[in-house]
Parts: sequence; C-alpha cells; structure tokens
Amino acid sequence: MKIRTLLLGIGLSVGASAYAADPIKIGIPVGLSGANSVVAPSVVQASELAVEEINSQGGVLGRQLRLEIADDGSGAQGAQRAYDSLVFQRKVDGIVAMETTAARNAGLPIVNRGRVPLIYTSFYEGRSCSPMMYINAWVPEQQVAPVVDHFMAENEAKKFFLIGSDYAFGRGMLQYTREYVESKGGSVVGEAYLPMDGSDWTAIISQLRSANPDALITSTAGGAPNVTLTRQLRAAGISIPYGNYALDEGTAKSMGDNAEGIYIVASYLSSLETDANKAFLEAIEKKFGSSAETPNELSVPQYEAIYAYAAAVEKAGSTDSTAVIQALGEVTVEGPRGSVIMNKQRHASLNMYLGRVAADGSVQLVKSFPKVDPGEQCPQFANK
Amino acid sequence: MEALALDILTTAAILFVVSTGLMIILGVMKLINFAHGAFLTTGGYIAYLVGAAGLNPWLAVPAAAILGLLAGLVIERTIIRPLYHRPLDAILATWGLGIVIGQVFALTFGRGVQFAPSPILGTIDVFGSEYSGYRLAMLAIAIVLAVALSALLSFTRFGLNARAVIANEPLARGLGIDSANVRSITFGLGAGLACAAGALITPLLSVDPNMGLPWLVNSFMLVMISGVSFPSLLVASLLLGGSQVLVSTYISPILGGMTIVVLAALILRLKPKGFSRA
Repeated sequence: MKIRTLLLGIGLSVGASAYAADPIKIGIPVGLSGANSVVAPSVVQASELAVEEINSQGGVLGRQLRLEIADDGSGAQGAQRAYDSLVFQRKVDGIVAMETTAARNAGLPIVNRGRVPLIYTSFYEGRSCSPMMYINAWVPEQQVAPVVDHFMAENEAKKFFLIGSDYAFGRGMLQYTREYVESKGGSVVGEAYLPMDGSDWTAIISQLRSANPDALITSTAGGAPNVTLTRQLRAAGISIPYGNYALDEGTAKSMGDNAEGIYIVASYLSSLETDANKAFLEAIEKKFGSSAETPNELSVPQYEAIYAYAAAVEKAGSTDSTAVIQALGEVTVEGPRGSVIMNKQRHASLNMYLGRVAADGSVQLVKSFPKVDPGEQCPQFANK
Repeated sequence: MEALALDILTTAAILFVVSTGLMIILGVMKLINFAHGAFLTTGGYIAYLVGAAGLNPWLAVPAAAILGLLAGLVIERTIIRPLYHRPLDAILATWGLGIVIGQVFALTFGRGVQFAPSPILGTIDVFGSEYSGYRLAMLAIAIVLAVALSALLSFTRFGLNARAVIANEPLARGLGIDSANVRSITFGLGAGLACAAGALITPLLSVDPNMGLPWLVNSFMLVMISGVSFPSLLVASLLLGGSQVLVSTYISPILGGMTIVVLAALILRLKPKGFSRA
C-alpha cells in the first residue's frame, strides 16, 4: 500500500512536471555562516521536510515547490547579497526567512522592490512592519508576560534585575520587560548590558548582588554570551528565580546542571504531547536519520511558514504577490505548535509555554498559556 | 566593597595568567604571537575533552600545558624558524596559524558552544560575603605562576640565557649561547602557558572556535604597556583590569569592555616604552 502510494506520488509528480508550469520557488535566506550557523541546519531540514511533504501530495496548484537556499552570513551585508540573488537572479516567488534582525532589515527594501512576499519566522523584538512581510514567531508581548507573571505569583517577586547583550533584540526585550514589570506594580532595581562579544560579567554580577533583587531576567545573544553569563552566575552562587529569553532546549541540554532551574518561555517545546508534534518529530527522524537536527523554536515556525505560503498560494489561485499577501493573513496552518493564523496586524496569536530546566538539562513544562495575543505591532495593518 | 576589591584582584589575576605566554615570546623572540588567541582556544578544547572523558577537571591544566609545549616546539621548528630574519612575515605567519587552528576546531567540533566542567563549584565565604570559589582559585594560581616564572628567569640556566637573549641577542650568541635553542624553548613555553591559561579560564566561560580572540586583544594591550617583565605585567594587569572593573561597576559595562584598549593607548602615548625600562 505504502509503496503503491509512493509510486503513485512519483507518477503524479513526474506527470505533473511533464506538462505543468515551472516549480514554485521559495527562497530561504539563512545564516549558514556566522552567528546563526549553529541553528541553520535545523531550519534547512525543516524547510526541506515541509517541501517534500507538500510535493508528495501533489504540490500547490499542480506545481511542485522548490527551495532556493542562500547564505545570509547572519548579518546585513550577507543578507543584501542573498536577497539580491534570490529576488532578482533566481526570481523566487516567495521567501521564508529565519534570520537575525540585521539581516531582515537589510532584506526588506529588496523584497519591497522585487515585490516578493516574505514570511519571517524568527522570534524578534517586535514592531517590524512592511507591506510584503508576515511574521509567525513570537514578539516580546508574548514572551515576557508568562515569566514575569509566574515570578510575581509563585515567588512573590517585586524587585527585578535585567541583564542583556547590547543589541536591538537584547535591549528591545528588556525595555518591554521593564515596562511590563512596572505596569504590574513591580520595580526594576538594575538593568545592565555587555557588548555582544563580551564574556566577563564580573562587574554586572556584583551589581546584581548589591541590588539584591527577587528575580533575574536575561536577554543575551544566544550561544557564548548566554552560556558564559549563566556559568558565572552559578559560580557566584546566584540562586534567585532566573528567567532566560535566549536559552533554547538544545543549549539547556548541553549545559546540564548549570542550566538547572532556569525558566524559559517558548512557543514550541519538543516535548509537546500533541499528535501534530509527534508526527512532525517522526517525519524529521525518518527523513534525516542520524543526521537529524533537534527541532526547535526556530525550525518549527520555519516548517509551518512554508505550509502557510503554500496554503496562501492555493487560496490566491496564483503566485501573484498582491493576492498572496492578501491570502497570507487568512490561511490557518495546523502545525506542531497548534493552529496558527497570521491575522493580528501581520503577526500571530500563539500558544506559549513556560518551561523549567531540570537537572538533566531537559525542559519540563510548568504552565501553558493558550493563544497569547501579540498586541499592537503594526497598527497600519488591520486585524483580519 | 570587599566584593569590588575581589573583583579587581581576580580580574587582574585572570588577565595576568592569560598574558604571560604572549609576553615571554615577545620578550625573547621579539615576535608578537598572534596565534596566542588560538592557543588559548586549544586549551579550552582540551579542557572540554578532559571533561567529556569524565576525568578530573584539574587534569586539563597540565594536559594543556604539555600538549601546548610540544605543539609550540613543532610550530617553532616548522613555521617560525624559517622566518627569523623576516620579523613582519613571522607575525603574519602566526596570524595565519591562528586562523587555521580556529578553522580546524570549527570543522572538528562545529561552531556551537561546548562546556568544560569547573573543578571548583559554588562560593567561598570571604570577609562575610560570598565569592566565586573558582575566581579565588585563579587569584592563587596567578600568584604561584608569577613567582614560578620569575624564579625560572632569575635562578635557572635557561633563565639566564633567556635574559641574555632578551638584553642583546648578537652579544649573547657571541658568548656561546645557543640562541636558536633558547628561542625554540621559549616558543614552546609560551604556547604551553597559553594553552594552560585557556584551560584555566574555560570553567568561567564556554568553549567555541573564537573564544581566544577577545583575550588576545587584551593580552596584547597589557604586554605592550608592561614591557618584558613579570612584575610590571602584574602591575599592568592590576591597573588595567582594575580600571575595567571600576568603569564597569560605576559607569557602564559597555564602556568597561573598552577600558583596557583605550587606557593602553593613552599610556603608550604618555610613556611610549610602557612601564618596564629595557
């Protein structure tokens, strides 16, 4: 039965490609080199899986999907080259981008000029609005409330200390956190930043000590800054409730007991007990075997965004960018994170999960927050 | 207040430990070893491997020192020695070597961050306040290292020869000192010290292919203003490390990150030869 469906699928796709139009090209600018190179392989795998699944069911409007992958170097310069190549040379129909904020900002003018619909799939600091862009990942409004509320309710935390890396995402997240803490009657007793390549947190940890806060929230760059900060906090014996915006499941696992007790908030945890997530995990495992990357908060939105683009093209009846942009706000994707529709000023309400890292580095679900609203992101685009 | 004093002392201690390898090579060979950062990274990966093998974390330091020493001897013989009479090319060669080492780590272990276990966990009570035990251990290690290296230079045959080469190499050669041998041992020693330092700082940091780079910049500045002398390197570490902690604490950690570089430039403007009088 299985073999027959497979053969049927191949037969269909061969038949389709024999007379149907060219494939629909989806551009994937991603940081194969630079800061994002650690997570990029999982993002590419998620994209390949989504395209393979859609193609095996006959593609979109009888056309196959094809990926065009370009390295954005995790930064602005590389992104300009990647977007130029995707939009003007390889002439992609749509773009699905898990990138840094710098890379996205560099790419936006190019997609606007080329009029190519873009779905941005990385969580970010919020309020990036562009006529060609939709976003299916979380913004501070969705990330901050669960952890602050939890600390206030469970730990009776009033005084918060904030530590971040000195860049747009770090500062944006903590600025929003400060406003949120103050709006809930708490106070921020200290806010300190280190440059992105900084690794010596000594002075900041001393400030933290003397401020004597009830809880700590950090928003560093991922990877080395986050790890060095956590290790030095542990070495200094800091044991107050600790929420970390930059920690992902994979890093927590490799940090083991150093990460124990850290709270993270995510729209996706690989331990989610839903049928869609289990099927997705199996499919990744089956397609990539031993080289399969663990799905994560960045690769899963990418997977769902390719489905969203396919659904929007299907609904629009063509790859015409005006029609696809219109449709992107109306289609719902049932994915590993649940059902996602990007109808909130180009953003999406998401199920958010508060997790706590256990001693073995695994993330235990503490509490879930269904359908958290992204708030006022781009008022120029009405809610649908 | 005690915490601030301890921050200053331990920061200076870490800077000192990280810079000695660079200084000893500069002193004897008149060569700025830009592969110093890569040697620190090597020490970090050795600490990671020792940890991954489940051995005692302290073992990482002697293991790194020995491996660094051997690697240094080989590198001196194959890469540095042919360039003795082309000092600028030699510096360029160490820079290239650093890039190659970094790429080898990136290809072997990937670009992601790794972890080495810390030999001392938790805090120690000092004057009634808690302080990171490992940072205090670094302070003790720095003092031992300063004494040991000063003794090596002052009381051993190698030290005497090295001081002669530092003071006047042609004259030392004329007196029958095998300066090539001294250079070779010095490079090995410098590389061994750098690798051991890399293994020592790793428990406070994470291991990745570029972990040595920021330390290379700071050690370079320290060595530039200290000149070739362990006591003056100690003074420079205290002065610059202390300023970094003070600026980070009272003004902003972002400015703190630049303090060492800016101060070093100012000091060199006022005292072009740095602290130690050669």
